[in-house]
Amino acid sequence: MRKIILILSIIVLTVEIMVKCVFAANNIAVSIDAPSTKANMGDKITYTGTITNNSGKALNNIIAYISLVNITPGKESPMDLEDWSANKAIKIDTIQPYSTYEAKWPMRLIDSGNYVVYITVVNKNDNIPVTSTMSHLEIKRILRLNPNNVLPVAIGEPLLIGILFIFVVLRKREKVK
Amino acid sequence: MKTAWIIMQKEIKENILTPKGVLWYMLTSTILSILSYLFLTNSELSLLDQGQMLYMIMNFISVLGVLIGIVFGTDALAGEIERGTIEALFLSPLKKNELITGKLGATIANWGIIFTISLPYLFVVGKGAQNLLVGVIYLAIIGMLLTIIFSAFSMGLSARIKSMKNSLIISFFMFLLSGSPIFLSAAMRKTWFGSIFDIINPFADAINTFDSVVIDSQGFNYQASRIAIICSYTLLSLWFLRRSVSKLEM
Repeated sequence: MRKIILILSIIVLTVEIMVKCVFAANNIAVSIDAPSTKANMGDKITYTGTITNNSGKALNNIIAYISLVNITPGKESPMDLEDWSANKAIKIDTIQPYSTYEAKWPMRLIDSGNYVVYITVVNKNDNIPVTSTMSHLEIKRILRLNPNNVLPVAIGEPLLIGILFIFVVLRKREKVK
Repeated sequence: MKTAWIIMQKEIKENILTPKGVLWYMLTSTILSILSYLFLTNSELSLLDQGQMLYMIMNFISVLGVLIGIVFGTDALAGEIERGTIEALFLSPLKKNELITGKLGATIANWGIIFTISLPYLFVVGKGAQNLLVGVIYLAIIGMLLTIIFSAFSMGLSARIKSMKNSLIISFFMFLLSGSPIFLSAAMRKTWFGSIFDIINPFADAINTFDSVVIDSQGFNYQASRIAIICSYTLLSLWFLRRSVSKLEM
Protein backbone atom coordinates (compact mmCIF):
# COMPACT_ATOMS: atom_id res chain seq x y z
CA MET A 1 0.00 0.00 0.00
CA ARG A 2 2.84 2.34 0.97
CA LYS A 3 4.60 1.51 -2.26
CA ILE A 4 1.51 2.39 -4.29
CA ILE A 5 1.10 5.72 -2.44
CA LEU A 6 4.77 6.54 -3.04
CA ILE A 7 4.56 5.69 -6.76
CA LEU A 8 1.35 7.68 -7.12
CA SER A 9 2.92 10.67 -5.33
CA ILE A 10 5.92 10.58 -7.65
CA ILE A 11 3.65 10.39 -10.71
CA VAL A 12 1.53 13.31 -9.48
CA LEU A 13 4.65 15.37 -8.72
CA THR A 14 6.17 14.64 -12.14
CA VAL A 15 2.94 15.51 -13.91
CA GLU A 16 2.72 18.76 -11.92
CA ILE A 17 6.29 19.75 -12.84
CA MET A 18 5.66 18.90 -16.51
CA VAL A 19 2.45 20.89 -16.53
CA LYS A 20 4.26 23.81 -14.88
CA CYS A 21 7.05 23.66 -17.46
CA VAL A 22 4.63 23.47 -20.39
CA PHE A 23 2.59 26.27 -18.86
CA ALA A 24 5.75 28.35 -18.38
CA ALA A 25 6.83 27.67 -21.94
CA ASN A 26 3.39 28.64 -23.19
CA ASN A 27 3.33 31.70 -20.94
CA ILE A 28 6.28 33.29 -22.68
CA ALA A 29 7.08 33.12 -26.33
CA VAL A 30 10.25 34.56 -27.80
CA SER A 31 11.18 35.05 -31.41
CA ILE A 32 14.31 36.39 -33.09
CA ASP A 33 14.35 38.65 -36.09
CA ALA A 34 17.65 38.66 -37.99
CA PRO A 35 18.36 41.54 -40.39
CA SER A 36 20.30 39.21 -42.65
CA THR A 37 21.79 35.74 -42.66
CA LYS A 38 24.90 36.88 -44.57
CA ALA A 39 27.19 39.75 -43.61
CA ASN A 40 30.78 40.95 -43.83
CA MET A 41 33.35 41.36 -41.09
CA GLY A 42 33.13 44.83 -39.59
CA ASP A 43 29.41 45.20 -40.37
CA LYS A 44 27.07 46.33 -37.63
CA ILE A 45 23.78 44.46 -37.48
CA THR A 46 20.92 44.58 -35.03
CA TYR A 47 18.94 41.57 -33.86
CA THR A 48 15.45 42.13 -32.61
CA GLY A 49 13.87 39.86 -30.06
CA THR A 50 10.11 39.84 -29.51
CA ILE A 51 8.98 38.53 -26.16
CA THR A 52 5.28 37.79 -25.84
CA ASN A 53 3.33 37.28 -22.67
CA ASN A 54 0.63 34.75 -23.54
CA SER A 55 -0.82 34.59 -20.07
CA GLY A 56 -3.50 36.63 -18.37
CA LYS A 57 -1.05 37.72 -15.66
CA ALA A 58 1.64 40.39 -15.96
CA LEU A 59 5.17 39.04 -16.08
CA ASN A 60 7.67 40.84 -13.88
CA ASN A 61 11.46 40.97 -13.78
CA ILE A 62 12.18 39.11 -16.97
CA ILE A 63 15.77 38.76 -18.16
CA ALA A 64 16.52 38.37 -21.86
CA TYR A 65 19.94 37.78 -23.39
CA ILE A 66 21.38 36.93 -26.76
CA SER A 67 23.80 34.08 -27.45
CA LEU A 68 26.17 33.63 -30.34
CA VAL A 69 27.71 30.25 -31.07
CA ASN A 70 30.43 29.62 -33.61
CA ILE A 71 29.54 26.48 -35.60
CA THR A 72 32.43 26.70 -38.06
CA PRO A 73 33.98 23.20 -38.24
CA GLY A 74 36.95 23.09 -35.88
CA LYS A 75 36.03 26.38 -34.17
CA GLU A 76 32.84 25.34 -32.38
CA SER A 77 32.42 27.44 -29.26
CA PRO A 78 30.16 30.06 -27.70
CA MET A 79 31.45 33.61 -28.28
CA ASP A 80 32.24 36.28 -25.70
CA LEU A 81 29.79 38.97 -26.73
CA GLU A 82 31.75 41.73 -25.03
CA ASP A 83 34.21 41.60 -27.96
CA TRP A 84 31.30 41.88 -30.38
CA SER A 85 30.07 45.09 -28.74
CA ALA A 86 26.72 43.46 -28.11
CA ASN A 87 24.47 44.54 -25.26
CA LYS A 88 24.53 42.56 -22.09
CA ALA A 89 21.38 41.01 -20.75
CA ILE A 90 18.26 43.17 -20.89
CA LYS A 91 16.07 43.36 -17.79
CA ILE A 92 12.40 43.88 -18.50
CA ASP A 93 10.43 45.18 -15.54
CA THR A 94 6.95 44.19 -16.68
CA ILE A 95 5.20 42.68 -19.69
CA GLN A 96 1.47 43.24 -19.47
CA PRO A 97 -0.95 40.30 -20.13
CA TYR A 98 -1.18 39.36 -23.81
CA SER A 99 1.29 42.00 -24.87
CA THR A 100 4.77 41.97 -26.35
CA TYR A 101 8.11 43.56 -25.64
CA GLU A 102 10.69 44.28 -28.30
CA ALA A 103 14.37 44.24 -27.39
CA LYS A 104 17.26 45.14 -29.66
CA TRP A 105 20.82 43.79 -29.71
CA PRO A 106 23.18 45.70 -31.99
CA MET A 107 26.30 43.71 -32.76
CA ARG A 108 29.61 44.41 -34.50
CA LEU A 109 30.80 41.40 -36.49
CA ILE A 110 34.43 40.95 -35.59
CA ASP A 111 35.33 37.54 -36.98
CA SER A 112 34.46 35.44 -39.97
CA GLY A 113 32.74 32.04 -39.85
CA ASN A 114 29.36 30.39 -39.48
CA TYR A 115 27.34 31.21 -36.41
CA VAL A 116 23.96 30.64 -34.83
CA VAL A 117 22.25 33.35 -32.80
CA TYR A 118 19.38 32.86 -30.38
CA ILE A 119 17.65 34.71 -27.57
CA THR A 120 16.91 33.27 -24.18
CA VAL A 121 14.34 34.60 -21.76
CA VAL A 122 14.55 33.80 -18.09
CA ASN A 123 11.66 34.26 -15.68
CA LYS A 124 12.79 33.66 -12.12
CA ASN A 125 9.39 32.22 -11.22
CA ASP A 126 9.70 29.45 -13.81
CA ASN A 127 11.99 26.47 -13.77
CA ILE A 128 12.98 26.46 -17.40
CA PRO A 129 14.25 29.23 -19.65
CA VAL A 130 12.52 29.92 -22.94
CA THR A 131 14.64 30.19 -26.04
CA SER A 132 13.92 31.40 -29.52
CA THR A 133 14.65 29.48 -32.68
CA MET A 134 18.22 29.70 -33.94
CA SER A 135 19.07 32.23 -36.58
CA HIS A 136 22.01 31.33 -38.81
CA LEU A 137 24.62 33.90 -39.70
CA GLU A 138 27.47 33.62 -42.18
CA ILE A 139 30.22 36.25 -41.82
CA LYS A 140 32.61 36.71 -44.73
CA ARG A 141 36.23 37.68 -44.15
CA ILE A 142 37.30 40.95 -45.71
CA LEU A 143 40.98 41.54 -46.41
CA ARG A 144 41.88 45.20 -46.09
CA LEU A 145 45.46 45.90 -47.12
CA ASN A 146 45.59 49.65 -46.67
CA PRO A 147 43.03 50.81 -44.11
CA ASN A 148 43.18 54.56 -43.31
CA ASN A 149 46.04 54.88 -45.85
CA VAL A 150 48.40 53.41 -43.29
CA LEU A 151 50.84 51.94 -45.82
CA PRO A 152 52.43 55.19 -47.07
CA VAL A 153 53.20 56.15 -43.46
CA ALA A 154 54.14 52.66 -42.26
CA ILE A 155 56.60 52.15 -45.13
CA GLY A 156 57.51 55.74 -45.95
CA GLU A 157 58.58 57.01 -42.56
CA PRO A 158 61.11 54.28 -41.62
CA LEU A 159 62.41 54.55 -45.19
CA LEU A 160 62.92 58.31 -44.88
CA ILE A 161 64.71 57.93 -41.55
CA GLY A 162 66.74 55.08 -43.12
CA ILE A 163 67.88 57.45 -45.88
CA LEU A 164 68.81 60.00 -43.21
CA PHE A 165 70.74 57.25 -41.39
CA ILE A 166 72.76 56.41 -44.55
CA PHE A 167 73.42 60.12 -45.07
CA VAL A 168 74.71 60.54 -41.49
CA VAL A 169 76.91 57.42 -41.76
CA LEU A 170 78.43 58.58 -45.07
CA ARG A 171 79.04 62.07 -43.69
CA LYS A 172 80.76 60.63 -40.63
CA ARG A 173 82.97 58.43 -42.82
CA GLU A 174 83.94 61.45 -44.91
CA LYS A 175 84.88 63.35 -41.75
CA VAL A 176 87.03 60.43 -40.54
CA LYS A 177 88.83 60.34 -43.92
CA MET B 1 71.83 79.76 -19.47
CA LYS B 2 73.94 80.26 -22.59
CA THR B 3 76.37 77.61 -21.38
CA ALA B 4 73.50 75.20 -20.79
CA TRP B 5 72.36 75.87 -24.36
CA ILE B 6 75.88 75.07 -25.65
CA ILE B 7 75.95 71.85 -23.59
CA MET B 8 72.55 70.91 -24.99
CA GLN B 9 73.71 71.48 -28.56
CA LYS B 10 76.84 69.39 -27.90
CA GLU B 11 74.73 66.57 -26.47
CA ILE B 12 72.36 66.66 -29.45
CA LYS B 13 75.32 66.54 -31.85
CA GLU B 14 76.95 63.66 -29.96
CA ASN B 15 73.87 61.58 -29.20
CA ILE B 16 71.11 62.46 -31.63
CA LEU B 17 72.76 63.52 -34.87
CA THR B 18 74.94 60.42 -35.00
CA PRO B 19 74.40 57.08 -36.79
CA LYS B 20 73.53 55.55 -33.39
CA GLY B 21 70.93 58.23 -32.65
CA VAL B 22 69.32 58.10 -36.08
CA LEU B 23 69.26 54.29 -35.88
CA TRP B 24 67.23 54.59 -32.65
CA TYR B 25 64.71 56.77 -34.41
CA MET B 26 64.57 54.40 -37.37
CA LEU B 27 63.80 51.55 -34.96
CA THR B 28 61.20 53.71 -33.19
CA SER B 29 59.55 54.41 -36.52
CA THR B 30 59.67 50.73 -37.54
CA ILE B 31 58.05 49.66 -34.26
CA LEU B 32 55.31 52.27 -34.69
CA SER B 33 54.80 51.16 -38.32
CA ILE B 34 54.31 47.52 -37.30
CA LEU B 35 52.02 48.48 -34.45
CA SER B 36 49.87 50.82 -36.57
CA TYR B 37 49.57 48.29 -39.37
CA LEU B 38 48.63 45.57 -36.89
CA PHE B 39 46.04 47.83 -35.28
CA LEU B 40 44.40 48.71 -38.55
CA THR B 41 44.54 45.39 -40.38
CA ASN B 42 44.39 42.64 -37.80
CA SER B 43 40.93 41.12 -37.80
CA GLU B 44 40.08 41.82 -34.17
CA LEU B 45 42.31 44.79 -33.38
CA SER B 46 41.14 46.65 -36.47
CA LEU B 47 37.63 46.59 -35.13
CA LEU B 48 38.59 48.29 -31.91
CA ASP B 49 37.24 51.79 -31.54
CA GLN B 50 39.48 54.48 -33.04
CA GLY B 51 39.72 56.00 -29.57
CA GLN B 52 40.89 52.71 -28.07
CA MET B 53 43.55 52.32 -30.78
CA LEU B 54 44.69 55.91 -30.29
CA TYR B 55 44.93 55.37 -26.54
CA MET B 56 47.00 52.21 -26.98
CA ILE B 57 49.44 53.79 -29.42
CA MET B 58 49.78 56.84 -27.14
CA ASN B 59 50.83 54.55 -24.29
CA PHE B 60 53.34 52.90 -26.56
CA ILE B 61 54.85 56.23 -27.69
CA SER B 62 55.20 57.33 -24.06
CA VAL B 63 56.99 54.08 -23.22
CA LEU B 64 59.39 54.52 -26.15
CA GLY B 65 60.10 58.13 -25.14
CA VAL B 66 60.75 57.19 -21.53
CA LEU B 67 62.98 54.22 -22.43
CA ILE B 68 65.24 56.28 -24.70
CA GLY B 69 65.17 59.07 -22.09
CA ILE B 70 66.46 56.64 -19.45
CA VAL B 71 69.35 55.59 -21.72
CA PHE B 72 70.18 59.27 -22.37
CA GLY B 73 69.97 60.00 -18.65
CA THR B 74 72.28 57.23 -17.52
CA ASP B 75 74.80 58.01 -20.26
CA ALA B 76 74.78 61.72 -19.45
CA LEU B 77 76.83 61.46 -16.24
CA ALA B 78 77.88 57.84 -15.66
CA GLY B 79 78.89 57.64 -19.34
CA GLU B 80 81.08 60.71 -18.94
CA ILE B 81 82.58 59.25 -15.74
CA GLU B 82 83.31 55.89 -17.40
CA ARG B 83 84.81 57.51 -20.47
CA GLY B 84 86.93 59.74 -18.22
CA THR B 85 85.56 62.94 -19.76
CA ILE B 86 83.84 64.31 -16.64
CA GLU B 87 87.14 65.74 -15.31
CA ALA B 88 87.43 68.01 -18.33
CA LEU B 89 83.89 69.25 -17.70
CA PHE B 90 84.62 69.93 -14.03
CA LEU B 91 87.86 71.75 -14.81
CA SER B 92 85.99 74.13 -17.12
CA PRO B 93 84.20 77.15 -15.57
CA LEU B 94 80.94 75.32 -16.04
CA LYS B 95 78.40 75.26 -13.21
CA LYS B 96 76.88 71.92 -12.30
CA ASN B 97 73.37 73.30 -12.73
CA GLU B 98 74.23 74.42 -16.26
CA LEU B 99 75.62 70.98 -17.00
CA ILE B 100 72.48 69.14 -15.94
CA THR B 101 70.18 71.70 -17.56
CA GLY B 102 71.98 71.24 -20.88
CA LYS B 103 71.90 67.46 -20.63
CA LEU B 104 68.26 67.42 -19.59
CA GLY B 105 67.50 69.79 -22.46
CA ALA B 106 68.96 67.24 -24.89
CA THR B 107 66.70 64.55 -23.37
CA ILE B 108 63.67 66.80 -23.90
CA ALA B 109 64.80 67.42 -27.48
CA ASN B 110 64.95 63.64 -27.89
CA TRP B 111 61.32 63.41 -26.71
CA GLY B 112 60.45 66.15 -29.19
CA ILE B 113 61.93 64.08 -32.03
CA ILE B 114 60.12 60.89 -30.94
CA PHE B 115 56.86 62.84 -30.66
CA THR B 116 57.38 64.32 -34.14
CA ILE B 117 58.10 60.86 -35.56
CA SER B 118 54.94 59.52 -33.95
CA LEU B 119 52.64 62.27 -35.25
CA PRO B 120 51.87 60.69 -38.67
CA TYR B 121 51.07 57.39 -36.93
CA LEU B 122 48.80 59.11 -34.44
CA PHE B 123 46.88 60.80 -37.25
CA VAL B 124 46.59 57.61 -39.30
CA VAL B 125 45.51 55.40 -36.40
CA GLY B 126 43.28 58.01 -34.80
CA LYS B 127 41.65 59.13 -38.05
CA GLY B 128 38.03 59.82 -37.23
CA ALA B 129 38.51 59.62 -33.46
CA GLN B 130 36.71 62.48 -31.76
CA ASN B 131 39.46 63.42 -29.32
CA LEU B 132 42.47 63.09 -31.60
CA LEU B 133 43.81 66.66 -31.32
CA VAL B 134 43.24 66.93 -27.58
CA GLY B 135 44.88 63.54 -27.14
CA VAL B 136 47.92 64.61 -29.15
CA ILE B 137 48.33 67.76 -27.02
CA TYR B 138 48.07 65.75 -23.81
CA LEU B 139 50.61 63.24 -25.16
CA ALA B 140 53.09 66.02 -26.01
CA ILE B 141 52.92 67.53 -22.51
CA ILE B 142 52.57 64.42 -20.36
CA GLY B 143 55.10 62.50 -22.46
CA MET B 144 57.60 65.31 -21.89
CA LEU B 145 56.96 65.32 -18.13
CA LEU B 146 57.39 61.53 -17.98
CA THR B 147 60.64 61.81 -19.94
CA ILE B 148 61.91 64.45 -17.48
CA ILE B 149 60.89 62.32 -14.47
CA PHE B 150 62.62 59.15 -15.60
CA SER B 151 65.67 60.70 -17.27
CA ALA B 152 66.31 63.05 -14.32
CA PHE B 153 65.97 60.08 -11.96
CA SER B 154 68.37 57.94 -14.01
CA MET B 155 70.78 60.88 -14.38
CA GLY B 156 70.75 61.48 -10.62
CA LEU B 157 71.16 57.78 -9.94
CA SER B 158 74.07 57.53 -12.36
CA ALA B 159 75.75 60.47 -10.58
CA ARG B 160 75.45 58.62 -7.28
CA ILE B 161 76.31 55.09 -8.45
CA LYS B 162 78.87 56.22 -11.06
CA SER B 163 78.19 53.06 -13.09
CA MET B 164 76.24 53.27 -16.29
CA LYS B 165 75.32 49.57 -16.33
CA ASN B 166 73.99 49.52 -12.77
CA SER B 167 72.09 52.78 -13.00
CA LEU B 168 70.58 51.66 -16.32
CA ILE B 169 69.38 48.38 -14.81
CA ILE B 170 67.93 50.07 -11.70
CA SER B 171 66.23 52.74 -13.83
CA PHE B 172 64.71 50.10 -16.10
CA PHE B 173 63.42 48.19 -13.08
CA MET B 174 61.92 51.35 -11.65
CA PHE B 175 60.24 52.01 -14.96
CA LEU B 176 58.95 48.43 -15.18
CA LEU B 177 57.56 48.79 -11.68
CA SER B 178 55.75 52.00 -12.55
CA GLY B 179 54.64 50.57 -15.90
CA SER B 180 53.16 47.47 -14.30
CA PRO B 181 49.54 48.81 -14.48
CA ILE B 182 49.70 48.15 -18.22
CA PHE B 183 50.13 44.44 -17.49
CA LEU B 184 47.43 44.31 -14.82
CA SER B 185 43.81 43.66 -15.62
CA ALA B 186 41.19 46.32 -14.95
CA ALA B 187 39.81 44.17 -12.09
CA MET B 188 43.22 43.99 -10.37
CA ARG B 189 43.64 47.73 -10.69
CA LYS B 190 40.34 48.24 -8.90
CA THR B 191 41.46 46.52 -5.70
CA TRP B 192 42.46 48.80 -2.81
CA PHE B 193 46.15 48.20 -3.47
CA GLY B 194 45.74 48.64 -7.22
CA SER B 195 43.82 51.89 -6.72
CA ILE B 196 46.45 53.37 -4.39
CA PHE B 197 49.24 52.25 -6.71
CA ASP B 198 47.39 53.81 -9.64
CA ILE B 199 47.15 57.16 -7.86
CA ILE B 200 50.72 57.45 -6.60
CA ASN B 201 52.36 56.10 -9.74
CA PRO B 202 53.16 58.79 -12.34
CA PHE B 203 53.08 56.39 -15.28
CA ALA B 204 49.68 55.02 -14.26
CA ASP B 205 48.47 58.60 -13.84
CA ALA B 206 49.65 59.33 -17.38
CA ILE B 207 47.89 56.34 -18.97
CA ASN B 208 44.73 56.99 -16.94
CA THR B 209 44.77 60.58 -18.20
CA PHE B 210 45.09 59.37 -21.81
CA ASP B 211 42.22 56.95 -21.21
CA SER B 212 40.07 59.65 -19.65
CA VAL B 213 40.78 62.20 -22.40
CA VAL B 214 40.68 60.00 -25.49
CA ILE B 215 38.15 57.28 -24.62
CA ASP B 216 35.93 58.89 -21.99
CA SER B 217 36.07 62.44 -23.47
CA GLN B 218 36.48 63.94 -20.00
CA GLY B 219 37.63 67.53 -19.55
CA PHE B 220 40.64 69.07 -17.82
CA ASN B 221 38.88 69.12 -14.43
CA TYR B 222 39.02 65.33 -14.33
CA GLN B 223 42.72 65.34 -15.24
CA ALA B 224 43.87 68.11 -12.90
CA SER B 225 44.68 65.92 -9.89
CA ARG B 226 46.56 63.35 -11.97
CA ILE B 227 48.54 66.04 -13.80
CA ALA B 228 49.33 67.65 -10.44
CA ILE B 229 50.79 64.32 -9.23
CA ILE B 230 52.87 63.99 -12.42
CA CYS B 231 54.13 67.59 -11.96
CA SER B 232 55.02 66.80 -8.33
CA TYR B 233 57.09 63.82 -9.48
CA THR B 234 58.77 66.02 -12.08
CA LEU B 235 59.83 68.49 -9.38
CA LEU B 236 60.88 65.65 -7.08
CA SER B 237 63.04 64.03 -9.75
CA LEU B 238 64.64 67.41 -10.60
CA TRP B 239 65.37 67.97 -6.91
CA PHE B 240 66.89 64.45 -6.71
CA LEU B 241 69.05 65.16 -9.78
CA ARG B 242 70.26 68.50 -8.43
CA ARG B 243 71.10 67.00 -5.05
CA SER B 244 72.89 64.02 -6.60
CA VAL B 245 74.95 66.19 -8.94
CA SER B 246 75.87 68.63 -6.17
CA LYS B 247 77.60 65.74 -4.38
CA LEU B 248 79.41 64.65 -7.52
CA GLU B 249 83.16 65.25 -7.31
CA MET B 250 86.15 64.38 -9.42
